[in-house]
Amino acid sequence: MPKIEYIGEHLWVGQIGHFAILLSFVAALFAAFSFYKAQKPGNKGWLSMGRWGFIIHAFGLFSIITTMLYAMYHRMYEYTYVQRQVSDDLPIYYLFSSFWQGQEGSFILWMFWHVILGFILIRTAHKWEPYVLATLSGVQTFLMTMLLGIYIPFTDNQKIGSNPFALIRDIMDAPIFNNADYLSIITGTGLNPLLQNYWMVIHPPVLFLGFASVTIPFCFAIAGLSSKLHNDWLRPAFKWATFSGFIYGLGILMGAAWAYEALSFGGYWAWDPVENSSLVPWLIGIAGIHTHLIARSTGRSIGSTYIYYGLAFIFVLYSTFLTRSGVLGDTSVHSFTEMGLENQLILFMLTFTAIPIYLYIKNRNSIPKVEKEEAIYSREFWMFIGAMVLLFSGVLMTVSTSLPVFNKIMLLFDSDYIGQVITDQMDHHNKYQLWIGVFIGILSSLSLLLRFKEFNWVSYKTKFLKSAGMILGLSALATFAVLPNLETTNWSHGVLLFSGFIAVITNLFHVFLFGKNNQARLASFLSHFGFGILILGILISGLNKKHISTNPFAQQGITADSKLDKVVTLIKERKFFLNDYWVTYESDTLEGNLRKFDISFAKKDENNNIIDSFKVRPNALYSNDFKKIETWNPSTKRYLHKDIFTQVSGYPAHLLDIEVAHQLEDSLNYVPYSLKIDEPFEHKDFTITLKGVNYQPILSENDSVKYDMGIGLRLEFLAKESAQNEIYRTEPALGLKNALVYQFPKSIDDLGIKIKVDDQLFSDVFQDEANLEYESIVMKEGEVITWKDYSITLNGFDRSPEHANYNKQEGDIALGGNLSIRKGEIESDITPIFIIRDSQQFSIKDFGTNIGIHARFSSIDPNSGDMTFALAEGNSTVVEYPIVIAEGVPRSDILVLEAQVFPGINLVWGGCLMMLFGFLASLFKQKKLDF
Amino acid sequence: MNKLHIVASIAILVAIALLVMSTKDISSYATFEIAERSQQRVKIVGNLDVTKDVSYDPENAPNYFTFNMLDANGISNKVILNEPKPRDFEMSESIVVSGKMEVEGFVADEILLKCPSKYKDEELALKKDS
Repeated sequence: MPKIEYIGEHLWVGQIGHFAILLSFVAALFAAFSFYKAQKPGNKGWLSMGRWGFIIHAFGLFSIITTMLYAMYHRMYEYTYVQRQVSDDLPIYYLFSSFWQGQEGSFILWMFWHVILGFILIRTAHKWEPYVLATLSGVQTFLMTMLLGIYIPFTDNQKIGSNPFALIRDIMDAPIFNNADYLSIITGTGLNPLLQNYWMVIHPPVLFLGFASVTIPFCFAIAGLSSKLHNDWLRPAFKWATFSGFIYGLGILMGAAWAYEALSFGGYWAWDPVENSSLVPWLIGIAGIHTHLIARSTGRSIGSTYIYYGLAFIFVLYSTFLTRSGVLGDTSVHSFTEMGLENQLILFMLTFTAIPIYLYIKNRNSIPKVEKEEAIYSREFWMFIGAMVLLFSGVLMTVSTSLPVFNKIMLLFDSDYIGQVITDQMDHHNKYQLWIGVFIGILSSLSLLLRFKEFNWVSYKTKFLKSAGMILGLSALATFAVLPNLETTNWSHGVLLFSGFIAVITNLFHVFLFGKNNQARLASFLSHFGFGILILGILISGLNKKHISTNPFAQQGITADSKLDKVVTLIKERKFFLNDYWVTYESDTLEGNLRKFDISFAKKDENNNIIDSFKVRPNALYSNDFKKIETWNPSTKRYLHKDIFTQVSGYPAHLLDIEVAHQLEDSLNYVPYSLKIDEPFEHKDFTITLKGVNYQPILSENDSVKYDMGIGLRLEFLAKESAQNEIYRTEPALGLKNALVYQFPKSIDDLGIKIKVDDQLFSDVFQDEANLEYESIVMKEGEVITWKDYSITLNGFDRSPEHANYNKQEGDIALGGNLSIRKGEIESDITPIFIIRDSQQFSIKDFGTNIGIHARFSSIDPNSGDMTFALAEGNSTVVEYPIVIAEGVPRSDILVLEAQVFPGINLVWGGCLMMLFGFLASLFKQKKLDF
Repeated sequence: MNKLHIVASIAILVAIALLVMSTKDISSYATFEIAERSQQRVKIVGNLDVTKDVSYDPENAPNYFTFNMLDANGISNKVILNEPKPRDFEMSESIVVSGKMEVEGFVADEILLKCPSKYKDEELALKKDS
């Protein structure tokens, strides 16, 4: 194939980008090596080399980001990544979202945070710097390989990494690339409309900062193990661990809030594999924080802390593998597709599993141990158990989530193996994790009553038993009070409720009754109290959530069990009674690309007084060409004690997609009718009366398109079946623009009919120019003359006349004659135009629609001031007005509403936020300590 | 053996017990034939049978959606979902339904669509005017 000289490509951008990738990769490798060398005392030279390596690595990374954003901003579609993430019409504020939407971009985001954290460590980690930065640079080296995009020689297209600057014509083999100017015909795929919201702007950066933050305690753990300074690293690492707990938790919480708000998954948590795999490292990190606390207070559990921080990072890598390798396939709603990075990801994971294992085994004997066994009534013992329960939770979740991986492995050995899936994901996880919640609820609170390194249990015992007894009693009372109000018959829910109350009550007690230094205990109080509140919130919102969009009367007989109904159909401007609420779909309005639906809810008491009323506005987003609805946005009414979530979950097919509308239109059978003014026409189902003709009908929804002329028929329909003798008034119309006739049909949804004015009417009313008999009249300004039965006045002139048929040109001399034509009661003002263009004379005709006079401005005599007009009478003898009616037309004024109440949902958010504030409180408590 | 070791061993035993128990939570992707025979709740993966009608009438039965699906063996069967029609249904590449075989068809209570939006990469978007 001859080499094609492609037009319009910006190859230098990709060359800079790819160079930056290589530079950044080599620099990271160099930094890792230098920092490693700098670990030996007295190697100042290596330390400075390591720092420079890291700085160059960062410079490379920032260059990659800048270059990529530049290419995306300028829509350089020759680059695959640009083509897949942006499109011409993508708003600029989604540029960053598109950037981290893709696989490569999210790796870059992750590395970006590592670099930022790395810089902070260079300034603050002091003697730990060479250790921590060596590991971090090593991690960066591996991550950078994901971007290399280098083909391995002598293999079948095996490559290392996926270069975000790859050219689309190198990736794809399509005939379009035989065209040297292919760039002028391709456009970008853009950001999925589902992702075009503010969550996509804030959630990924926070979550990836969370991922990145897990790396730092891991780096410290490696540092501790390899330096054998097992006690020294605990202090500087602790604030990083709490920071990680906070920011990673916030990232997960944001994901939950997004899922809840968009509710396409039915709530804030769906036990989706991707969700699980991001939760597991956090849980294990939290377990690590607890053993870390034990280690700092008692000197025990240092080994466990190593293990937990190691596992947390390994599980981040495993989560990366699950989400990005494509192995989850159809078990998850939000995983990436395969990119050929699987082996690389596995190698990454194995490397960073092997290093800590090797170091642990090698140096385990130097880890300090407390010889005496911890007492069973000491706080550290139960905290340790608690940490183990967290790990246990993570392991259970991981095993279930890894089922697709297990299937893949089995397939390697047995190609006939049939893959297994979890039949009911939600049920499966809820069932097991419920007990984790119970254990954590009880352990996290009762262990607070115990003391570290218990030394005088005999005298403390009575106090402990008293408090514990009181707490258990109160919790039991609270449980018995609340449980009957929960929609459950499952006793295990009662146990969980009990443990939630234990957590809440103990923590209140602990702070307000026993609290001697509240400040120091704030962190513990907030996080454990928050956990208790979260448990209560999960139970209340999960068990008592209810669909209010059900209508038991309307649905009978259609579905076997109307309790299953989740949605109900509303008809515009009609009240429906649904589960205590009167619900009305009031109107819909088009604002830009959004169609907003106004739906009102009113709750009444027995005396018919409205006790609660509110409005929701879910909406639909049209594609930019208005041909179909792209996505739907729900609307939530929030109260302190509950949320009412609403969304439009169904809409007539012909309003969703213009193609369906065309198909429907083609399938309709239009029957012609001929109407006379004020003469009722009897149809078998209704009576039609033509009340009049409107020559100025409203044609487009927002009056955005101007029509040259229009004609509408004012019709009245009286339904014969209807008991109320309801009259439907409607006005179908025709519009004329640039000699084309446009239909403006109208539907009467209650009658299931669609009415059009027959095209024929236009030529009946507005005749062809050829059939008109023009007569010339001569007038002067201000003169009134009588022509036939009409009184005609020349009121004056318009020196810059405008008319739909007149396209103004430079150098035109144009004059409009303002004529008033009157016949009896009817008066019409029209302005025919006389034009001289390039010394040629033209005239633009005007037509008085309501009076039926066609007028032309034929000539001007500048000497005498005589103006010549040509007038013709239109054929106003039309007495029969043709219309066509189709029956059996589906309604257009309906929508299917889903409305759901989530009671106590704010307990979930409040509980989570309190837990996060707990981490913050801990972080601020440590601010006095050196960073 | 200290207390923590005992606790850890108990935890491991419990974990094994739970995992054994949880094997009843999993099943392989079934086919319509298996669903018919077993009368159990199963998961079936397949594709939309485009030769047959997809029917949803928001006006009269908003909670009733039916279509025909081809399972892994290429057998077509009617599927009934007591829910509104999922968005972008026609665009889905493959469909996973969970439910039971009944007289009137396979009654699903859960549906998962694999949409090509994630797989859009294989096609090039062309400008509209070309």
